[in-house]
Amino acid sequence: MASSTTSAVYIHVIEDVINKVRDEFINNGGPGEAVLNELQGIWEMKMMRAGVICGPIDRSSGQKQPTPGGPITPVHDLNVPYEGTEEYETPTADMLFPPTPLQTPAPTPLPGSADGSMYNIPTGSSDYPTPVNDNSGGNTDVKGARPSPYPQQSPSPWPNQRTPLSVDVNVAYVEGREEGDRGTSNQPLTQDFFMMSAGKRKREDFATQYHNSGYIPQQDGAGDVTSEVTNLELVLVTDQGLLESSLDYMRAIMGSKGDNVLDRCDSATTEKIKIEAPSVTSSSKIPQQDGPIPDPYDDMLSTPNIYNYQGVVNEDYNVVNTPAPNDLQAATPAPVPQNDTGDDDDDEPLNEDDDDDLDDVDQGEDMNTAHLVLAQFDKVTRTKSRWKCTLKDGIMHINNKDILFNKATGEFDF
Amino acid sequence: MATFELYRRSTIGMCLTETLDEMVSNGTLSPELAIQVLVQFDKSMTEALESQVKSKVSIKGHLHTYRFCDNVWTFILQDALFKNEDTQETVNRVKIVACDSKLLSQ
Repeated sequence: MASSTTSAVYIHVIEDVINKVRDEFINNGGPGEAVLNELQGIWEMKMMRAGVICGPIDRSSGQKQPTPGGPITPVHDLNVPYEGTEEYETPTADMLFPPTPLQTPAPTPLPGSADGSMYNIPTGSSDYPTPVNDNSGGNTDVKGARPSPYPQQSPSPWPNQRTPLSVDVNVAYVEGREEGDRGTSNQPLTQDFFMMSAGKRKREDFATQYHNSGYIPQQDGAGDVTSEVTNLELVLVTDQGLLESSLDYMRAIMGSKGDNVLDRCDSATTEKIKIEAPSVTSSSKIPQQDGPIPDPYDDMLSTPNIYNYQGVVNEDYNVVNTPAPNDLQAATPAPVPQNDTGDDDDDEPLNEDDDDDLDDVDQGEDMNTAHLVLAQFDKVTRTKSRWKCTLKDGIMHINNKDILFNKATGEFDF
Repeated sequence: MATFELYRRSTIGMCLTETLDEMVSNGTLSPELAIQVLVQFDKSMTEALESQVKSKVSIKGHLHTYRFCDNVWTFILQDALFKNEDTQETVNRVKIVACDSKLLSQ
């Protein structure tokens, strides 16, 4: 959490900035004090969310800082009337008219107010029956944080009252926009629903396809399903052979240390394959059509790639497979989805470590951005691998705390 | 008065930048005025750090990376220890970005 000094300095900076840009906002056709108040409100809200300003306690002290010249009590009174309508029962023309023409080019409220001296009526008649609520709670998005900034800032209660009224004028536009935004934001929502349903449908389609027969029906050409699948089965067989032979090879290299890991991978893959086995064998045994009917064993042994590419591993391969002909039997006729999982299994043991490394890197980057020191340096020196530096006027963000310093000395080993 | 935009990357600066971005993008604020506010923030933040902050900090750690480019030092420390009067904090990785203080006095 924010230390009290940091919070105080931050509040001071906010006040300072707001006060010093006020001229720019009010004069020279600037957007007006209401916008400035909005700026301050959102800024402070974000700071509190970030946890670098200590909530309302420090804000109240912050409120007192900018209003030593102005009466404080009326300022606090203003917090209450936001809920009621007292303010609006006794408005003066001064309150309404001087700021509004400056800040808002829109003459919309004027015809309404021209109806009579009842200032409640114009705002009420223009789709905002409760303007007070609009200010305090209606526009939660943008102005939710505003009521509190008002009292902080205003040297007297009257400008305060001005701003809400002038804000009302803006509200008509802002609200309109917001409603428009809501409208548009609703559309994506419904679109999302459509997408979701479409996605669901797709998934169901897939599911039914698989449940029907075990393969994906050929729909876009000649019935070459069987040849496709036999190709796949060959690929899978070689993959498996490669996997297991490479596992053995790795085991030979790594010795007993690697055994555990590899065994785990091995058992994981075989388990998965076994689980998949029944459905596969039951549903999708593919008839051999272009040669002698293969025995699973023959298939396994006659897979030429294994022997050609990895002749050395040959023995190992047999050793591994002595307990595993079932696996091969199961995996031979594997259709597409099984093939995919088989590939995943192939990848996992090989890439597992890489993934971990990447995760570490990502974490490192996160940490890197999480902890940051921003400062000015006076001097940086180095003797051999020993670095010394003197910093000043720094902001540190460390372990989610903001710490400010006037001076800092650093001693680093490279 | 020269200022650094350095502090805009701090929490308070990021909060202000986000706020200004929102207000400019929804048309409440002109980009020029938003920039003026940011420049004022640079000044106010620098002044506040000079005048209001008195604390001292010592930093120790293993220097993983150092870089000096365009008068800005960047250090990446590992296992850094930050000490001030009240507390101390350890961080396994921290980035220090420091501008040349002499540039301000010019």
